[in-house]
Amino acid sequence: MEALLERALQSVPQVEIYEQKLQSDQIQFENGRLKEIETKMQSGLSLRIIKDGCLGFAYTRNLVNPDVLVREALDSLQGGVEAPFDFPADPPPPTKALRTHDPHFMEWSNTALVEEGRRICDTLSGSLQAQVNVSIHRQDQEIRLLNSRGFDQSIRSTFYFLNASLLFPGSQAGLERHLASQGFERFPEEQLAFLQELFKQSTKEVRPLPGKMKVLFFPETLYALIWRIQAAANGKNIYEKTSPLLNKLETALFDSKLSLYDDPLNDAQPFARSFDDEGIPCRRLSIIEGGVLKNFYYDLFYGAKLKKPPGGQGFKSGLWGGETVALKPKPTLEYLYLLPGEKSLEALVRSMDRGLLAAGILGAHSGNILNGDFSIGLAPAIYVENGEIIGRVKDAMAAGNIYESLKNVVALEDRGHSTYGGTFPSLLLDQVNVAW
Amino acid sequence: MPFTHLESILTNVRAEYADLRYETKKEVQIVFSGPELTQISSSTTDGYVMRVLKNGGFSTVVFTEEKDGPAALARAEENAELISRFIIKPVRLAKTEVVRDTFSPNLDEDPRSVDMEEKLQLTRSYNQRPLQQAKIVTTQIQYLELVREKWFINTEGTRIREDLITTRLGGTITSQEGGLTQTVRVGRGGSSGFALLRNQEALFEAKTALALDLLKAKPVKGGTYSVILNPNLAGVFTHEAFGHFSEADLIEDSPSMLEKLQLGTAIGHPNLTIIDDPTRPGQLGFYKYDDEGVTARPVPLITRGVLAGRLHSRRTAARFGEPPTGHAIAEDYRYGPIIRMGTIFIQPGQTPFDTLMSELNDGLYLIGTLGGQTSGENFTFGAEYGYEIKNGRQGDMIRDINISGNLYHTLQHIEGIGDDLELSQLGGCGKGQTNIRSCHGGPHILVRDVVIGGR
Repeated sequence: MEALLERALQSVPQVEIYEQKLQSDQIQFENGRLKEIETKMQSGLSLRIIKDGCLGFAYTRNLVNPDVLVREALDSLQGGVEAPFDFPADPPPPTKALRTHDPHFMEWSNTALVEEGRRICDTLSGSLQAQVNVSIHRQDQEIRLLNSRGFDQSIRSTFYFLNASLLFPGSQAGLERHLASQGFERFPEEQLAFLQELFKQSTKEVRPLPGKMKVLFFPETLYALIWRIQAAANGKNIYEKTSPLLNKLETALFDSKLSLYDDPLNDAQPFARSFDDEGIPCRRLSIIEGGVLKNFYYDLFYGAKLKKPPGGQGFKSGLWGGETVALKPKPTLEYLYLLPGEKSLEALVRSMDRGLLAAGILGAHSGNILNGDFSIGLAPAIYVENGEIIGRVKDAMAAGNIYESLKNVVALEDRGHSTYGGTFPSLLLDQVNVAW
Repeated sequence: MPFTHLESILTNVRAEYADLRYETKKEVQIVFSGPELTQISSSTTDGYVMRVLKNGGFSTVVFTEEKDGPAALARAEENAELISRFIIKPVRLAKTEVVRDTFSPNLDEDPRSVDMEEKLQLTRSYNQRPLQQAKIVTTQIQYLELVREKWFINTEGTRIREDLITTRLGGTITSQEGGLTQTVRVGRGGSSGFALLRNQEALFEAKTALALDLLKAKPVKGGTYSVILNPNLAGVFTHEAFGHFSEADLIEDSPSMLEKLQLGTAIGHPNLTIIDDPTRPGQLGFYKYDDEGVTARPVPLITRGVLAGRLHSRRTAARFGEPPTGHAIAEDYRYGPIIRMGTIFIQPGQTPFDTLMSELNDGLYLIGTLGGQTSGENFTFGAEYGYEIKNGRQGDMIRDINISGNLYHTLQHIEGIGDDLELSQLGGCGKGQTNIRSCHGGPHILVRDVVIGGR
């Protein structure tokens, strides 16, 4: 790494190297049976250089010849991509050391993880007419970021993720719950019981009248709505003036029960970070507080363009899980939290006169995301009447716009669940238009 | 990378079967965000994917560096043995012929011989067209060139060199007026070389006009409609709603779906024939061998409404007792192959477009795709725009259209099949891995009883 840095510095004044080393195992159970184990042993490097206000970039997985990588980065300078920033100097040490890895987790054998998967499959299969799928992922990742201004920090993260799902017959729609942590944790019995009970209650297919009604979004589905806030608060879309939130800071846009923030420093969750993928110290950033829009978020590029200090939200993140080393940092909210409310999930269901539980969704990426529009399939959609679960509605769709729908928040669940896109409680909305 | 190099990594394998794929990937990207060039890069990378079948357990190890070969092999064997201890039916692989071949596709202008400056100028010139309009607030236009050079060996003696070269130029155009923002997709791409990206000014002009027109369009009213889908949407429907369930790995562990999807079952309207054919030359989805070294072949999936075939890997072909089809495809050197569609399309019928419109009478004409998703029998996909149709005549333009439906119900309600055929140039499918060469298409089709989400 140091040699590569020196090699690049012979040609340009500023250099940044991002190195990733990763080892992972993916274990897949389908229909209650062990199906696949895939192991990855990967490494990779990306190189950014700055010369005369221009940015160059290249990456490789396998650094066979450093000269090739440097030449590719130098070639890319020719295009004249603007670099309105300098790479940051080494910051003062963080006030709190983050605990991001379990040193013994990778010593666990795959056999032990397979046993955990089998236990869950056996418990869930029981008497249910369900397809039980379990996937287990564990990973050990080390990232080192080094630049020519003296920044040199590494962070090692271990990650354990388990998804348990019960699919309804004839479909791939089902109920799911996750566990995400830094090391092995036994999947909680209460979550298994929750899945079984809810599955039993919703086996019957029902066909009530569609229209406007309450919809309780489960944590696993909330990313569809929050994605639209992320897009609108993204510094890129503020800079390009395409965001509907332009000039709306400090405006009450949503129900006062909604508070959304990004917190990479919370090391109770996996992948906590003290610096982003550009070397900027991370911090907690409030996006919405009591329904009021508080902040937009930036990487180095868009921060510099908008003359805002970089906030530590520049990550190499791909919408569809792209290859980290191949991506350039961009404004990203990787560590979102939606503040929980005061009612249990059971109490929320009991409070519904008539409506749906959105336990899974389809097509979150369709529609005009930046406008806040959503039009999503609910699969499964579980129908509730007078606080009782009646059954399951097939082929349901919910549509609306978050700037209207998120004004009609009835309540939030009293606990957050680590899930796709962040840590979210269930969210009960009123007056959502649903069709089938 | 000579084959002997790869052979040495597999020398000590102690298993029924093993294969090893080594790939290099050269990726060229030029990206404009609005008027600004935000990326221009050319990167080269590589990696290995090893699979081992031992005692009936099948496992995959992906690794970056050659020196990790022995560790990867040990891990693959260990994982395969672990699987074999729990497996009820040992994995078998369908027999296929041993292939020794080197294949490079015919290209109309090899992108590697076009210099970077010319690629940059072409991308810039297309990007500038929409930006000349005051109400176009931004664009996201990307040139992407992916050159994959693949070496595949297995312990049965197959040795294949194949190149996959994909180019595309496109992205999104965003218009804005008042508080309303509209985004349309634009682009050209394929596997046939650089030439197809040239002379696309009219396409960028037309899509700019569409982005502006959408500002005046009205949101569709939610409800149940009869619709005509244009070829692109018909293709997305075919891919999302049906195609995924012809992928044997998606249904093999679902007893209820297997029961519903038995070959010979009348599943669709008698007008309907659907084929997947990766061998159509020049198409985005073209390849000769899949990532298990199996020769690809066209597969009739629905023939006149009756379920006729399925897409297979060697493993699923053996499990189903059906012939292998050559559809096990990996995104690149980071993944083991999974079953993917190649070029899936509805076979054209005999009905001219005007006749479809009069058969529709009242309903919607829907055009262009905004992506889709499926979950068993349910599917959802977005249309870029459309028109209200009254008495067979085109009325107001509509937007914000998302379609949802049930696979079995919808297949029975495809009543009209147009006499045209168009295959997509911009694919993309995200079944765990991204497949940018996933190609789909069809004629215009008339579908009854479709649920449209709306406010």
